Amino acid sequence: MNFIMAWRNIWRHPRRSILTIAAIVFATMLLVFMLSWQFGAYDTMIDATVKIHTGHIQIQAQGYQDQRDMRKVVPDPNEIERILTSLRGVKSYTFRAEDFSLVSSENRTYGVLVIGIDPQKEPSVSTLEDMIRRGRFLEAGDRRSALAGEILADNLNSPVGGDLVLLGQGRDGSIAATVLTIKGIFNTGQDEFDRTMIHIPLEYFQELYNMRGAVHMAVVLCDSLTAVPAVKERIAGALSGIDSSLAVLDWKELNPGLVQAIQMDLVSGFIFYLILIIVVAFSIMNTFLMAVFERTREFGVMMSMGMGPGRLMGLLLMESLGITLIGVVIGTIAGAAVTWYFQIHGMVIPGAEEVARQFGLPERMFPQLSFLSIAVGAGIVLILTVLSALYPAFKVKGLKPVEALSAV
Amino acid sequence: MILKLAWRNIWRNRRRTAVILTAIVIGLWAMVFLSALMRGIADRMVKNAISTMTGHIKIYHAGYRNDPVIENRIENPGEIKNILQSLPAVRQFTSRIRVNAVAANARHSGGVTLVGIHPGREAGISFTGDAVTEGEYLKDEESQGILVGRALLEKYETRIGHKLVLMSRDASGEIASRAFRIRGIYDAELESTERQFVFVNLAAAQEMLGVNGDVTEFSLLIDDYEEAAAVAASVGRRFDGDDLAVYSWKELLPLVVAVLKMYDGFILFWFAAVFIAIAFGLVNTILMAVFERIREFGLMRALGMKPSFVVAEVSAESFFLLFIGTVAGNLLGAASVAALSQRGIDLSAFAKGIEFAGMSRIIFPVLELGDILTADAAVLVLGMAVGLYPAIRAARFSPVEAMVHM
Amino acid sequence: MKRIKNWIIILENAGGVLIFKNYRILCIGFAAVCLMPVLALLQEVHAEDAERIVREAVNYYRGDASTAVAEMTIHRPDWERTMIIKAWTEGLKKSLFYIVAPPKDEGNGTLKRGTEMWTYNPKIHRVIKLPPSMMSQSWMGSDFSNNDLAKSDSILDDYVHTVEEVLFEEGMKIYVIRSEPKPAAPVVWGMQKLHIREDRILLREEFYDEDLKPVKYMDGSDIQMLGGKLFPRIWKMQKVENTGEYTLLNYRELAFHDDLPDRLFTLSALRNR
Repeated sequence: MNFIMAWRNIWRHPRRSILTIAAIVFATMLLVFMLSWQFGAYDTMIDATVKIHTGHIQIQAQGYQDQRDMRKVVPDPNEIERILTSLRGVKSYTFRAEDFSLVSSENRTYGVLVIGIDPQKEPSVSTLEDMIRRGRFLEAGDRRSALAGEILADNLNSPVGGDLVLLGQGRDGSIAATVLTIKGIFNTGQDEFDRTMIHIPLEYFQELYNMRGAVHMAVVLCDSLTAVPAVKERIAGALSGIDSSLAVLDWKELNPGLVQAIQMDLVSGFIFYLILIIVVAFSIMNTFLMAVFERTREFGVMMSMGMGPGRLMGLLLMESLGITLIGVVIGTIAGAAVTWYFQIHGMVIPGAEEVARQFGLPERMFPQLSFLSIAVGAGIVLILTVLSALYPAFKVKGLKPVEALSAV
Repeated sequence: MILKLAWRNIWRNRRRTAVILTAIVIGLWAMVFLSALMRGIADRMVKNAISTMTGHIKIYHAGYRNDPVIENRIENPGEIKNILQSLPAVRQFTSRIRVNAVAANARHSGGVTLVGIHPGREAGISFTGDAVTEGEYLKDEESQGILVGRALLEKYETRIGHKLVLMSRDASGEIASRAFRIRGIYDAELESTERQFVFVNLAAAQEMLGVNGDVTEFSLLIDDYEEAAAVAASVGRRFDGDDLAVYSWKELLPLVVAVLKMYDGFILFWFAAVFIAIAFGLVNTILMAVFERIREFGLMRALGMKPSFVVAEVSAESFFLLFIGTVAGNLLGAASVAALSQRGIDLSAFAKGIEFAGMSRIIFPVLELGDILTADAAVLVLGMAVGLYPAIRAARFSPVEAMVHM
Repeated sequence: MKRIKNWIIILENAGGVLIFKNYRILCIGFAAVCLMPVLALLQEVHAEDAERIVREAVNYYRGDASTAVAEMTIHRPDWERTMIIKAWTEGLKKSLFYIVAPPKDEGNGTLKRGTEMWTYNPKIHRVIKLPPSMMSQSWMGSDFSNNDLAKSDSILDDYVHTVEEVLFEEGMKIYVIRSEPKPAAPVVWGMQKLHIREDRILLREEFYDEDLKPVKYMDGSDIQMLGGKLFPRIWKMQKVENTGEYTLLNYRELAFHDDLPDRLFTLSALRNR
């Protein structure tokens, strides 16, 4: 009986009810969007960082990450390639080899990190190609070619087309020596990168440093950030049968500072969301309160017709619950739709584009719709609304019919 | 006339007014407080970045920044010191030698950055002062002591009291090497910092590199870091003609500057979010209030008031509500910021699992006039716009409608 | 009065016993006292001796100047590589190494003067001075670091030596000398131990870290007549923790001279060998 009455009450004053539902709908949409945006922001940050160099997952020799040693190699990249191409979730991959060697010009010698990259596969895994400011990226078929950091090139006084003398030690200790031609100069905006690195073609690196076909790491990009743990397990499983001296590392182990930074951000973000929720709560409570005030006379009539204050309160609560559910459901769907739209098209943060481009950071932010953002967003509004409805409901309990009737 | 009417109307129904006002006050408080928090975080970020030896302003030899080798050193530090001491804008300064070196012990060797410091002066300018968590900080008279980061200590499998042999190219191009003893261990925000920087006494570094009192950099602190560019320019003018370059932290930390610019955008974004949060509540409540007062408006129309007057009257009410709410919200916001200005918000309380060492995690909200004015203007203008619909609706009530309504 | 007398009697008696006991102790003590300077002398002799022994050993294996052809084998668990090297040395401060075989590495050379080192590579026709960052890297992939070669005289300048014990082997004395680095010396080792035979042949050099745990050691063996004197033909440098990795040096030819021309130790010599 009460349900029917509550339901009919709701629709007896469509305008009022719709306004209240609208408030809840907007609140839900807002929260779902903000939470999706927040989670998306992290994903964007992580994605951007891993695409600079480390990738989502790397396969290396055991112990290589802690102690870089020329001899700790991944001996058979072909085998790794076979595994990677057969696994689900692997979006792209490449191989690299590195060593610390001497690079010199007329009168200056620097110790630099020489990285052998695959000119065709590397752009699918990292943003290095976008950082080339002068000259061009490496191409298949390049041999004695190098990409140099801008600061290094300046210090050595070598322009595009200039020579770099390279002297290092191969995997078996033999001398690696050659003269390279600079084909491109890159600028990542980070001094350390631009001063201490050069990139040469992987095949040539292997020849020069006597790698006997080996590399130092396989760099893997997965379909999405959420796919990473599963892909890591699959790789580890596939490897354990074949070569157990290799280690599989994910982006967290490769970028420990990033995880810390995100956790810090999450903590400060928590405060922001708290404030937002307070505002939302007040908005909703205000809406309910207003609705109750508007209906004071109506309540007076009901009470004078014999409805007890307890029952009235129960009725009111049921109405509120009904409105809330309708509002939350519609709001969730609408919120998900809006978020989905921006997830596809991205959102531009004003003032950030130029800056972002310079540092290889993304220009657009993409909110990330997920079960979590929907559940938490809708859940918070649900709880808040129910709580907000309690206060006016209790106020109703103390109403005196005579007063109520005379209200305007 | 409209204004007087509007004013009195507001106070006639306290309950209604209170409800609407609350929404506005809370919304505005949220905007002010949020922006202050964000500015506080940005502030903290800048201060952290600066305290890793960047300082507000740095003076180098002209070629040092791209090629930080001992050849590019400052050979007249005494002169510079005198000039800096005479400048009122410069609050504190210190000088250092910073070169790339190789650190080795019996089991490991690797590249590090050797930093020769004045221990006393350095403590007031960079993170090193508070960062030593084990052993002791360097003493001014120390010649054999070295401070290393915890991550480096672990990588080299060594401990306090043990040796570290440092090798670098000296001023005459030869290889100089010198043994130091680990006196203290420091913890920094990033492990990579701990692995990179080792600190010794400036005199010891000068002796090792054969440079006779020369240094490679000066680091200055001024009163307000926002002013750094201007002060750097004026300091630079004093050294015109010398082979020196003067940089403000903005030129040295472009990434930090970039992130700061992004914060401006973020604040607008959050303002929008908060405004939307209060806007729907505002529209609804004002609308409901208007409908509650149907008889009132019908009466006004019956008494001959033109529809445009009704619109104006309701809008005036909205204006007063917005205005009072804005002022109250501003005051509340300012008060909350003031309340936190002593102790700040300690983030580490929220994240107990994370270790924060060397850099403080306390955020002090910072009020910025620009933000407050933006928030006020937005609320007033948009609030009026939002209140237009209820106003128009109110004007449309015919007297007959009103009388029939219950 | 009586009391004092009593004390004297007691003392006398005690003294008597003491004196008697003391007499023996005194005798021994006297002997000791007589011997002490002698013992001290012996100690000092040992310290002086130790340093002298080390110096003589170093001079022995270096000679005033030398030329040599050696075969260096680098052995690792999964591969092995052999090079043939020609070496010229003068005292401890100057040396020139030049790879003769295999053809892949032929023509590579290293020149050392004092603590500075240069390397030459024929493929790039360049002489490059080694920066500090390369000094701790291995020389040509062996278990010798560039530093090991550059600082070969540091054993004399940077350490204080004492004879720890004297062993006997095949009728000859072997001095086990403990070398501790001087406090300000820029050496990474906590200690070194040298086994030097009484005819000044260096048999073994052990390197210890600061916790006095052994890190690596070098053994000389197969002692034969080379270049006119007894000399270990085979040297092995090995890390303590990794017995599958070592470097072997086998002297094919060795000759000692009084002097070698200075122009041999120049950059142009490095380039044009």
